[in-house]
Amino acid sequence: MHLAWQRDEKMLEKVTYPMGSDPTGSLCRMFGIYDEATGLALRGTFIISPEGVLKNSETNFYNLGRNIEEILRKLRANLHMAENAAEVCPAQWKQEGDKTLKPSAKIVGKIYETLK
Amino acid sequence: MSEHCCGIQVGKNVPDFKLETFEPTKADFGEISLAGLKDAKKWTVLFFYPADFTFV
Repeated sequence: MHLAWQRDEKMLEKVTYPMGSDPTGSLCRMFGIYDEATGLALRGTFIISPEGVLKNSETNFYNLGRNIEEILRKLRANLHMAENAAEVCPAQWKQEGDKTLKPSAKIVGKIYETLK
Repeated sequence: MSEHCCGIQVGKNVPDFKLETFEPTKADFGEISLAGLKDAKKWTVLFFYPADFTFV
């Protein structure tokens, strides 16, 4: 099924990642995105660290597509924080080089000035 | 993994899982497991969708 779809659909021409199947829905249930009423998976996205820790979780309903750039931003932020454990990535952080925060008593109530 | 139900909180460990896959780069079938991805020290983005032939 995946094979036919990937060969047919021009938008999938460049797909290189493995396309898995969860025919019994057990993985969907594990992640809490199995819709018992329809037997389908909701549009769930999960970022898992190399240590096996769930770092991010996002679920869209059937009728809303995902913003891939935002998912990649979250992945990049997680990679950065894995290397720089004292830092956190604020909402405006987009990529390596953007300002991060180092949580401490000093910046309490001073986030605006710190990020300026 | 079937006994684990209804969601995993962010920050918690993901129980091991295994999936049969189609590998577009090899045009062949394969298998992927969280244990294997951990061994390879890889980050994983797991992306679910309701059915083939729909958008993302």
